[in-house]
Amino acid sequence: MNHLPQAWGRPRDDVYGAYDHAYLQNGPKQHTQSPAVTGTSVLALKFKDGVVIAADNLASYGSLARFTDVKRLRKFADTTVVGFGGDVSDMQYLDRLLNSLDIEEAYGGSSHTLNAQNLHTYLSKVMYKRRSEFNPLWNQLLVAGLDGEGKPFLASADLLGTTFSSPSLATGFGAHLAQPLLRKVAFDEEAAAKLTVEEAVEAIKESMKVLFYRDARSLDKYSIAVVTKDGIDLKQDEKLEKQSWAFADQIRGYGTQIN
Amino acid sequence: MFIARSEYDRGINTFSPEGRLFQVEYSLEAIKLGSTAIGVATGGGVVLGVEKRVTSTLLETSSVEKIVEIDRHIGCAMSGLQADARSMVEHARVESQNHAFHFNEPLRVESCTQAICDLALRFGEGAEGEESIMSRPFGVALLIAGYDEDGPQLYHAEPSGTFYRYDAKAIGSGSEGAQAELQNEFHKSLTIEEAETLVLKTLKQVMEEKLDSKNVQLASVTKEKGFRIYTDAEMAAVVERLPAN
Amino acid sequence: MAMFSQNPLMNGPNYSFSQTPSTAAAGNKEHSFYPYTDNGGSTLAISGNDFTIIAGDTRSTSGYNINTRYSPKVFKIGGTTSSQDDATLVLSVVGFAADGAALKERLDAIVKMYRYQHGKPMSVKACAQRLSTILYGKRFFPYYVTAILGGLDEEGKGAVYSYDPVGSYEREQCRAAGAAASLIMPFLDNQVNYKNQYIPGSGEGHALQEREKIPLPRNEVEDLVKDAFDSAVERHIEVGDGLQMLIITKSGIEEKYLPLKKD
Repeated sequence: MNHLPQAWGRPRDDVYGAYDHAYLQNGPKQHTQSPAVTGTSVLALKFKDGVVIAADNLASYGSLARFTDVKRLRKFADTTVVGFGGDVSDMQYLDRLLNSLDIEEAYGGSSHTLNAQNLHTYLSKVMYKRRSEFNPLWNQLLVAGLDGEGKPFLASADLLGTTFSSPSLATGFGAHLAQPLLRKVAFDEEAAAKLTVEEAVEAIKESMKVLFYRDARSLDKYSIAVVTKDGIDLKQDEKLEKQSWAFADQIRGYGTQIN
Repeated sequence: MFIARSEYDRGINTFSPEGRLFQVEYSLEAIKLGSTAIGVATGGGVVLGVEKRVTSTLLETSSVEKIVEIDRHIGCAMSGLQADARSMVEHARVESQNHAFHFNEPLRVESCTQAICDLALRFGEGAEGEESIMSRPFGVALLIAGYDEDGPQLYHAEPSGTFYRYDAKAIGSGSEGAQAELQNEFHKSLTIEEAETLVLKTLKQVMEEKLDSKNVQLASVTKEKGFRIYTDAEMAAVVERLPAN
Repeated sequence: MAMFSQNPLMNGPNYSFSQTPSTAAAGNKEHSFYPYTDNGGSTLAISGNDFTIIAGDTRSTSGYNINTRYSPKVFKIGGTTSSQDDATLVLSVVGFAADGAALKERLDAIVKMYRYQHGKPMSVKACAQRLSTILYGKRFFPYYVTAILGGLDEEGKGAVYSYDPVGSYEREQCRAAGAAASLIMPFLDNQVNYKNQYIPGSGEGHALQEREKIPLPRNEVEDLVKDAFDSAVERHIEVGDGLQMLIITKSGIEEKYLPLKKD
């Protein structure tokens, strides 16, 4: 028993080494070198009159499923949804940034002038500026909505400021597991322009399920949004349906099975 | 109630009720006290000429520098407070070199003139928070001669920051008489030699001293040779050509 | 004595803030954020007598992933409208796409400002020098891109300028850049500048006469570009999906898009 109250509840120095006071020192200003609490994949798919976007509600701390009710889709005006992958605190910072942008816009009096394309340009400049300052916002973003002409818009921006656009997009694990599935239903813009909302939602839900099967940092609770000219239909408490784990006992080489 | 011209000519950044900036207007007066400078643009090049006021026989006339080079293809003549012209010319030289560095081409004469005029109103703070760099407007006017892809050109830049292009222009104390003379004598088909003569002839009429090869200075800008200040021998030759009264 | 001191420095256990060492372990902390990535792809430019062709594939990659099948690398620069349809200059960028986009936007803004300030469109020669100073301006945090600038020179002849990431540049007849540059460039040397092509029977060894260089007509250059990319797609995984070609002539810039293999 240690009798110094300052030490109670602290890691023991003899076990864990001396406490690292580095963060208290007036050393060089530290920037984010790696993400801490993170969200996994974001998926999105364009269809005939809009875009579907989804992300699960989990925020992980390494391999720990730390927060299980974190909403990673964010509405902006009536035309745009931003999906966040990567660091959750940086997501919350960007959320505040978008809130103040929203308020500034509202002061203008007239209705919203910023569409999904404008918002994507803005966010990508923020991301590129921060990476150029060696102080990145550790996220990969998908911006889904309608462009200036009211056509479906979907584009990505990441912590390096890299941007691209495609009929379907997926971040993180989704880039490996979901994107091939989404490309099957929307190989190019023409194919995406023929999809109905039902087909698009179905493809996204199916992909979310595959991700839950295989991505250890995923959750079966998720958010999904459909953006069309009629507005945004955002649901934040969805649960993956019709899961089938029949394949699980076919998997060899990880568990305690003999062969 | 303010009496016009007594209160509003103090602040350099203050309009009078009639909408005038007196200090800027006064700076134009400073030029009318300056020595006469003349520029004539021809198809083959531009000729600049100035009178040097030789106030003493002991004065080394070559030290009176009223025509200076800005770049190989641009030069200028000045009238008014010469010291003020130094910072303008310095600015123009830097601007010209900068342009060549960034674009691998000579700066256009109009762009150079604009760059100089951008300086003219820097006695007040700039719109984008630039600090005021001067306490008063410039007291000098420039005749800027140059040659670029649009051919030979002559510009007149004032302390007010405005500039105009001229075929022929006179500034300084003798400018009124000289400008009238240029008005009569200028024509589009003038040669360089004729322009040299015209400049000196006009100077001669408005100068108080008797014109000789020491108290005037010529320079020219041509496609072939760029900006060039005339040597003593060349000056003597042109003065020689002048018709004797 | 030491074991009762409760000072770890004296080999005793310690749980007190005030007594623990308050300096961090020696040595520099490693920065784990790397501000660059490679987005793959290739570009190619060839100048002719009265035209220049600049081309690039439209695939964007991250490692083995394809980000998108349509992300242009070739841009019109300095037009007066948002569609850039009156532009006369073309820039291609390959390497780190975010830097490429930033560079393109900066050059475009500068060329537009130049038109306002000097009352004339910028020449390729001037733009080439300006691009060099932009790139060198970031010498110690470079734009990680290989740029190629194309247009028509003051005599109306095709002009191609190629760059390294920090602004060294050179005017050339042709240049390939990016992921498949090492595959395409030797092909160009042989087919555009006729390198290693000799007139049969014209001599032995050094006496052999080189095949005479002739300015290539536009249709032949277009075919060369297509062949170069079709070959690169076969052998390089980061190249494919689509081929974007901008052809600069005195009557304007023509744009062509052709599909490439998507595997």
